[in-house]
Amino acid sequence: MIETIRFWVIVVLLGLGVFFTFVSTVGVIRLPDIYARAHTASQTDTLGAGFALAGVAVAFGWQHAAVYTVLLLFFVFITNPTAAHAIARSAAESGIEPWTNDSDEDGDSQ
Amino acid sequence: MSTDGHEEGEIAVAADRLLVPLSDTVTVRQTVGYAVRSGLEDAGELAIHLVVALPHEASLPESRQRTAEAEELLSKAENWVQEDAGSASVTIKTTLLGTDEYLFGPRDFAETFNDYAQEHDIDLIVLDPEYQPGSTAQILQSVELELDAVGLAYDEAPVERPARHQRLVGDVSERFDRLFAMFWISYGFYLVLGDPTYWFDLVTGAAVAGIVSLSLAHVTFTFPLDRVQSPIRAIRFGLYIPYLIWEIVKANIAVSAVILRPSMPIEPTMTRINTRVRGGLPLLALANSITLTPGTLTVRADDQRLIVHTLIPSARDDLFDGGLERAIRFVFYGRESAAIPTPRERGDTEIIGGDDQ
Amino acid sequence: MIPSGITIEEVFLGAGTLFVVLAIMVFYRAVAGPTTQDRLLAVNVLGTNTVVILALLAAGLDQSWFLDVALIYALLNFLMAIAISKFTVERGGVL
Repeated sequence: MIETIRFWVIVVLLGLGVFFTFVSTVGVIRLPDIYARAHTASQTDTLGAGFALAGVAVAFGWQHAAVYTVLLLFFVFITNPTAAHAIARSAAESGIEPWTNDSDEDGDSQ
Repeated sequence: MSTDGHEEGEIAVAADRLLVPLSDTVTVRQTVGYAVRSGLEDAGELAIHLVVALPHEASLPESRQRTAEAEELLSKAENWVQEDAGSASVTIKTTLLGTDEYLFGPRDFAETFNDYAQEHDIDLIVLDPEYQPGSTAQILQSVELELDAVGLAYDEAPVERPARHQRLVGDVSERFDRLFAMFWISYGFYLVLGDPTYWFDLVTGAAVAGIVSLSLAHVTFTFPLDRVQSPIRAIRFGLYIPYLIWEIVKANIAVSAVILRPSMPIEPTMTRINTRVRGGLPLLALANSITLTPGTLTVRADDQRLIVHTLIPSARDDLFDGGLERAIRFVFYGRESAAIPTPRERGDTEIIGGDDQ
Repeated sequence: MIPSGITIEEVFLGAGTLFVVLAIMVFYRAVAGPTTQDRLLAVNVLGTNTVVILALLAAGLDQSWFLDVALIYALLNFLMAIAISKFTVERGGVL
């Protein structure tokens, strides 16, 4: 019984992880400019990796390896937004204009 | 010294109206002394304007104490000037700057000083080399750079610097606190990776943690640790994580719905938001949380002014409602500081369209 | 009910395969660009994907030491993030 529950919990967690990473991948390919892509890249870092690593942690159960996955997730959470910010900032500094709906310079949407 | 002696001495200031920005540093006394000496060197009479620039708006709860401290500092400095001037005629004017506006970064400080200087016909600013507006929080860029940028003449007081020395070494208990915290953090990390029940790991871990804490403690913590506040902050940070995850899940679902729709109805905008979070670590936590939440991305962070790119309107509304900002204020400043108006209500938000300048 | 013929290891390996496919899709952005920042971003996402794939392999092959590799990889990602930040802030003066 416990095994069955664990099996399905893992399947659901991995499925969600794959789903959010898929959305993120689609976003990275579809979205029009670097800033918009950076948003969706953080989906991989958060829920994509989060659900997948949670699935791994459940599989290993209450033992040492589960602590590793928590540490892994911690590092991903700390470091990737820093990298995303650095990339976006360097894009802003090299003068890449953000894409807007009208695609011209009158960007005040309010 | 003679009035013509300024060419060979260090004191090369020809000014009779000086502006001295004060902050609570160990070198502030020497700065005031230098200003008086150099001012009296060249001119028979001297007007000294002592100012304290307040980094916080007066309405915030924690800034009432700051205002009181600033007034105390001003009256102390006034006494110092009178002490140093002796019989010479010195006019003293003390002012609190930034009470009616909100100063964000070094640029705002420099501009405020510039305005003041023009208004009162100031010849020269005498700057404390350790000058830190806001006694506790560190400013990320130096005021000197910004003074250069606004084209204001300033003179750095040649002070003895116990402070520079102190910042590296610290007094004994501060140094111990850093070593203590660093030792247990690195020891804990070592044991998590190793096996906490195996004696070999315990011994080598202690050795490694000792080396790490001795060599890196003063690099890791650039701010003084508080024995009571730091553990409380760590605990409050633990409470913050579930909230952050909940925000991330909500934002992920909203962004996914937008991306998967074939028409992809995104509305990217650049926004500027002035946060009420100061200093390195709190600002890092806030900017990282904003970036971690899909739909909002921190592009620039200059002191408290964040430039945030938002992908969809709902993410922008969440950002302007300031939930994360309040949570970060809760983590670093406590519960009562968390109850502040939202950025939208404060008028601290601005949509700057496609251009970030 | 565990479906017959599918073990938990196979589920992990299957998920790992999907992640590899997604990583290859992200690789398109790393190749196509158009700007350097786009490529960097894609490489960053690839790094996260690699960490996840390593963790999934650790569970799928029941080799828990794969997690050590994943941890080192995550730390290297962190170093890369620091290097990028330094590079963009200081205009070329890396460390």
